[in-house]
Amino acid sequence: MKLVIDQDRCKGCNLCTLVCPYRIFLPGKTLNRKGVVVPDLDRPERCTNCRLQKLYGRTLCGLCVMICPDQAISWEEEEPHEPHKVAIEY
Amino acid sequence: MSYQDWFRQDRLPHIYCSGCGNGTVINCTLMAVDEIGWKENETVFVSGIGCSSRASGYIVTDSLHTTHGRALPFATGVKLSNPDLNVVVFTGDGDLAAIGGNHFIHACRRNIDLTVICMNNQIYGMTGGQGSPTTPAGALSTTTPYGSSEPAFDLSELAVAAGANYVARWTSYHVKELTRAIGAGMRTPGLSFIETMTQCPTNYGRRNKLRQVTDQVEFMKNHTALRQKLDRMRESGQKVPADVIAIGEFVRRDRPAMGVRR
Ligand SMILES: Cc1ncc(C[n+]2csc(CCOP(=O)(O)OP(=O)(O)O)c2C)c(N)n1
Ligand code: SF4
Ligand code: SF4
Ligand code: SF4
Ligand SMILES: [Mg+2]
Repeated sequence: MKLVIDQDRCKGCNLCTLVCPYRIFLPGKTLNRKGVVVPDLDRPERCTNCRLQKLYGRTLCGLCVMICPDQAISWEEEEPHEPHKVAIEY
Repeated sequence: MSYQDWFRQDRLPHIYCSGCGNGTVINCTLMAVDEIGWKENETVFVSGIGCSSRASGYIVTDSLHTTHGRALPFATGVKLSNPDLNVVVFTGDGDLAAIGGNHFIHACRRNIDLTVICMNNQIYGMTGGQGSPTTPAGALSTTTPYGSSEPAFDLSELAVAAGANYVARWTSYHVKELTRAIGAGMRTPGLSFIETMTQCPTNYGRRNKLRQVTDQVEFMKNHTALRQKLDRMRESGQKVPADVIAIGEFVRRDRPAMGVRR
């Protein structure tokens, strides 16, 4: 699984940067095409959910998803051996 | 199902400002509903008027977006006419405690089997930032330009005094605890009142030296303490700072209730 931020929903409030115990979300620096500064993801594969959600069959931690007021954070299926640099999708 | 299935995806993104705490409270509510396993066609969301009250319109179940202050009378009608429905009320501090204040105390007194979730942002958000009955003393708003000089209502204590069966207060920072409290409230027969302190960055934070969304959420994180801890501090003669808000479960009891599923 991989962590993604929906560029159409995120409003750039940075609340996700406040709660992640691994500091995966970092305040972004550039505007996206909607004019929102979406947070950057720092090595999102560290998220417990990316690694263990399938194994446990439920969402672990999940603080970022719960606090995100705009329902912009989710996990997506990924191809086997997909390079992890493409964590934010447009 | 996941909590996402309870959202009307075609209505998202919602109209709330960036960082508005109302979105977080909807997440927590829908996660609690999803966990408890209620069915869409047996659940009704009712709300009054205000930013917070728009919440019911983003949910797939039947919902009633009623008139300002009157969410509880409408919800009472729904519940008493069909006690098999699960009825959840979204309301704001202005909606519930100002124009709807009387409905609030009498719904608690009657102990109607509703789950009432109040997004208390301490301001009238929708109409541009007028002071509400929960605006803290000293806070700036468009109607208190020199700082509010009135004492604020403690909605949770009010609900306890008026007779609600379950009362808890958390904040939009305490997402796990809030979700658990909403679930506990939904399971408790009788009126369950869950107050959530939420940030309104646009009309409260901006005027009160909390310019960033994260500033206001950090403020809530640092200026709240468990009710039991505050009680212990008072007992041992320690001074509790005036701006610390008590959070946690206030009451869980079994007074006679109305409209409980047969
Ligand atoms: C009868 C009536 N009086 C006044 C209004 C104007 N009005 C709309 S929302 C609102 C206050 C909302 O405050 P609150 O309930 O705290 O909701 P928030 O927007 O802060 O979430 C007021 C006074 C109205 N719509 N109807
Ligand atoms: S689920 Fe937890 S660990 Fe994973 S990104 Fe979200 S906050 Fe961080
Ligand atoms: S919490 Fe959600 S809306 Fe806010 S910055 Fe993070 S992803 Fe964007
Ligand atoms: S005005 Fe305040 S309460 Fe209303 S949507 Fe904006 S931040 Fe939220
Ligand atoms: Mg309000």
